[in-house]
Amino acid sequence: MSPLGPDGLGTVGPRAAPRSRLVLAVLLISGVVLLALDSRGAAAPVAEPARAVGSAVFTPAAGAVSFAASPLEWGVDSIRAGAQTQERVTELEQENARLEQELVDAGRDAGRMDQLTELLELTDRGGYEIVPAQAITQVSARGYVETVTLDVGERDGVGPDMTVVSPQGLVGRVTSVTAEHAEVLLLTDTTSAVGARLEGEREIGVVHGESDAGSGFTNPGLRFELLDASAPVQEGDRVLSLGSHDGAPFVPGVPIGTVAAVEDTPGELSRLAEVSPAVNLSRLDVVGVVVAEPEEDPRDAVVAEDLPADVQREVTS
Amino acid sequence: MSGRIVAVVLLAGAVLVQVTILNRIPLPWGVAPDLVLVVLVGVALRLGAVCGAVGGFCSGLALDVLPPTETELGRYAVLLCLAGYLAGSLAGTDRDSPVLPFALTALAALGVGLGFTGIGLVLGESRASLAGIVQFLPVTVGYTLLISPFALFVVSRCLRRFAAQRDPLWQEGEFSLRGDRAW
Repeated sequence: MSPLGPDGLGTVGPRAAPRSRLVLAVLLISGVVLLALDSRGAAAPVAEPARAVGSAVFTPAAGAVSFAASPLEWGVDSIRAGAQTQERVTELEQENARLEQELVDAGRDAGRMDQLTELLELTDRGGYEIVPAQAITQVSARGYVETVTLDVGERDGVGPDMTVVSPQGLVGRVTSVTAEHAEVLLLTDTTSAVGARLEGEREIGVVHGESDAGSGFTNPGLRFELLDASAPVQEGDRVLSLGSHDGAPFVPGVPIGTVAAVEDTPGELSRLAEVSPAVNLSRLDVVGVVVAEPEEDPRDAVVAEDLPADVQREVTS
Repeated sequence: MSGRIVAVVLLAGAVLVQVTILNRIPLPWGVAPDLVLVVLVGVALRLGAVCGAVGGFCSGLALDVLPPTETELGRYAVLLCLAGYLAGSLAGTDRDSPVLPFALTALAALGVGLGFTGIGLVLGESRASLAGIVQFLPVTVGYTLLISPFALFVVSRCLRRFAAQRDPLWQEGEFSLRGDRAW
């Protein structure tokens, strides 16, 4: 059976057992003694040099292995990471979407702040006291009434027949309010009429909305009807609000628009002019509701661009 | 070349591979296969109980000494000494079974794992707990079994190739029976 020796099988037996058991016993006892001593910290004279030798062997060997195996370790790492990669990708995508949204929000906030600044500039020049608002809808209820809804209401001190302005000029007037919202009738609605005057002149008239009911907002325009048929009016003249009694529904001095064309109406009692609105009414964002009219008529102060508002105000008053 | 010398080389290599490679591979569940134990079982099955005990003691002591120095001196030494002795003495009973080395390896891994935690409990080590055994021991045994075919193959080939057939040591009787295993 065994090719190893002539005596083969018969040599295993009682003769072998005592020796191997003796070896085992000696080894186990020394091991346990070592263990007991070292666990109590009593084996320091043996353990410390031994460990120093071990460390001296280990450090270069481990360094060499590390050097040789770094691509391998990288591979193992990637394999391990593979399981979590999909999760991680999803997580990062979500975070990315969130950050992009924040970026958009930040841009929108910056734009809104610019508009608010301009609005404040306008109201500062005119001396109006406003409540800033956001145009949240632009409903033309059945397609022909031009109104917008603002996110301010009675709660904010907004009431009916208040003037609504944007950084560029007049928007319209508040027609109805609830606690939290206000409806604004735009200048360009056909039922809207605003007392107006030419900049720098005493010529007065009425600005009517001229939106074409059928075609929606395609050509929003205003028609300025001057009461004096011989009034000197030409293209490029600016039109400001005249102001109503007690500042309702319109405060004085707000830019309405620019004369785009003058119609000759011989024989009529009044003159007509096409006026393009100062405000792009189809893209309203930040507006202000004038809650208190200026103490005195700002006249042309709002549209004066060359001089600081306070100086201009002194000049005009 | 003597079978013992080959065994020493094999065990030393296994210890080095164990501490420099296997213990540092970031495997899932944070445990490593016990290569030293597999090689020890293979050596003990070929060379017998005394070689198993001595080899186990020495390689265990080396594991205790080499970093990371997480164990007391003698902890692995005692355990591997026992494992080598038992594997070596069981060797002669059914030497033609191809499953025996693997079964022995699994048993040894289980026993060493239990013994390791057991010693820790006896010494009052705070890290040793039954929950740790339940959590990590099956994984360790599984990893060890996974590498055992390769390691055992290498051990058997080396012993067969480098240990001379007529090695006088093997004819002392104690080792003669284990010289001609099928694997």
